[in-house]
Amino acid sequence: MSQPEPVLVVEDLKVEFPVHGGLLGGRRIGTVKAVDGVSFEVNPGETLGVVGESGCGKTTMGLAILRMIDITSGRIVFDGEDISTLERAAMRPVRRKMQMVYQDPFGALDPRMRAKDIIGEPLVAHGISENREAYRERVSELLEMVGLDVVMGERYPHEFSGGQRQRIGIARALALRPTLVVCDEPVSALDVSIQAQIINLLEALQDELGLTYLFIAHDLSVVQHISDRVMVMYLGKVVEIANRSDLYRAPKHPYTQALLSAVPMPSPDAEAAREVVLLEGEVPSPLNPPTGCPFHPRCSMARPDCRETMPVLTEQNTGHKVACHLY
Amino acid sequence: MTSLLEVRNLKTYFHSDGSVVKAVDGVSFDVRAGETVAVVGESGSGKTVTALSVLRLIPDPPGEIISGEIRFAGRDLLSLSEAEVRKIRGNRIAMIFQEPMTSLNPSLTVGRQVGEPIEIHQRASRKNAWDKCIALLHKVRIPDPEQRANAYPYQFSGGMRQRAMIAMSLACEPELIIADEPTTALDVTVQAQVLHLLKELTRETGAALVIITHDLGVVARYADRVNVMYAGRIVETGQTSEIFNNPKHPYTVGLMNSLPRLDGDVRFALQPIEGHPPDLANLPSGCAFQPRCQYAVDRCLAKPPELSEVNPEHLAACWVDLNVTA
Repeated sequence: MSQPEPVLVVEDLKVEFPVHGGLLGGRRIGTVKAVDGVSFEVNPGETLGVVGESGCGKTTMGLAILRMIDITSGRIVFDGEDISTLERAAMRPVRRKMQMVYQDPFGALDPRMRAKDIIGEPLVAHGISENREAYRERVSELLEMVGLDVVMGERYPHEFSGGQRQRIGIARALALRPTLVVCDEPVSALDVSIQAQIINLLEALQDELGLTYLFIAHDLSVVQHISDRVMVMYLGKVVEIANRSDLYRAPKHPYTQALLSAVPMPSPDAEAAREVVLLEGEVPSPLNPPTGCPFHPRCSMARPDCRETMPVLTEQNTGHKVACHLY
Repeated sequence: MTSLLEVRNLKTYFHSDGSVVKAVDGVSFDVRAGETVAVVGESGSGKTVTALSVLRLIPDPPGEIISGEIRFAGRDLLSLSEAEVRKIRGNRIAMIFQEPMTSLNPSLTVGRQVGEPIEIHQRASRKNAWDKCIALLHKVRIPDPEQRANAYPYQFSGGMRQRAMIAMSLACEPELIIADEPTTALDVTVQAQVLHLLKELTRETGAALVIITHDLGVVARYADRVNVMYAGRIVETGQTSEIFNNPKHPYTVGLMNSLPRLDGDVRFALQPIEGHPPDLANLPSGCAFQPRCQYAVDRCLAKPPELSEVNPEHLAACWVDLNVTA
């Protein structure tokens, strides 16, 4: 089987934000390296999960890939085309193919628009539909695709529950028939029973439409369920990337190991049999990151060289890469 | 064993725009000395309102404790005057809130706030309270407690703030600590640190702990017993291992089947609970879960089921016997 062309190739992506201080905040006092040299590929039809704690740069990375924020350096190749330096106008046709589903289904929908108009807005903005009839048909089709009644399209966002709002957000993202959908914490604001509905919907839509997902989340159980491969980030860097089963069954990076150990499993028997590795301290400020490996101050395995040099992400076995001096 | 806290048939309603929201609608549960009890449920299930009712912190209006009994160490908290309740709150019963940033006063140093209950309840001098506070901050493993006590909450990270909250709750050596989603706002690794600390310190001091959470993993890891809430009622209660291994209420079963889990088989699709939780101002007839329940029979629409015994340590409120049906 020949390897298909990746949908998305990210090479040494960096996103830095200036930090201003001083009396009137006019002086630049530092730089936050939100995304600091990230490289990976996403293949067609797969789901790449991205996990990490607050401040690891996962959301910033998602926005940068969609070119919704400026990148500092690096390359983003989408469908074979380098989009890292495209101008606004040139990005427009590319955007049709890459869409985003947001975390907060309350904040992401305009409260003054009806659901059908929210879903149809991208069609209008990109001038897709040939006529009114085609437009209406497409909006109805989208509503049904995400499990909503066509009549519900007449309602306003506040008339929907959290789960239904997320369905509207998904319908809107799918309106332009994208190939890549970046999902940023799409279920973390939802209750458990509703979360499962949305996860199943995203999986069914992927099968039906051949979508490729970049699935960003902090919940390791959700990411395990939905992803084919998983990437772990810490302070703007990729520390480990592997197939789902390799990453969850044989995590290599001490941070990945600690992260998995910290998640309580919903089974008292499993919990009783488990030895929990507790990490010391919290994620350091990205304004003043540690030297060497960013994880070394919290790492029980840290050696002197961890303090000095940043380990490079290297392949251990097929497809399993880790950035750690231990390997 | 006698119970430290006995809640009986508690009803807490909220009045809004002419309608009545039955946030807590006939809840009964016990907490025994020294044990850890979880109250688990989704948004709007009434778990926070239950906790606030125990502490008599329901804003009235719009809220009102309609009926019930809350017996703590033999006294009915609902019959006490506000002044008498104040002697118990923060002293014999302490509370840890979800968002430590909004429950700490931003304009007082952490040290003052952690020491405040000692000043108030034990009439300690400010100096004595400060010294005791340093010891408490040390106990919750805040590094350099002497220096950190002079810091303001904004200078603390989320995990440190929650440690300070735990220190404050322990200040008067309470018999009961109620923690409302104490780690929901924290990162996974910090969440594990804070919960371990809380569990360890309550074990050490012998305090009972009520953890209010939506996370079944937290229940499984930390609780001795669990109460599952849905739409203002406890639908199932029992020993944690019994409830997880032998759930009897269709809602509990549904919750467990809808969870993606690290120890689960990822090849299978999740089984969500269809539909949405009910509007508490307009509850369905009979059992509140009945519209979402795949096992519902006529009786479920007619009359809400009461908790009944599955075995002496396990109660469920359901008309249907899942063993027979499934």
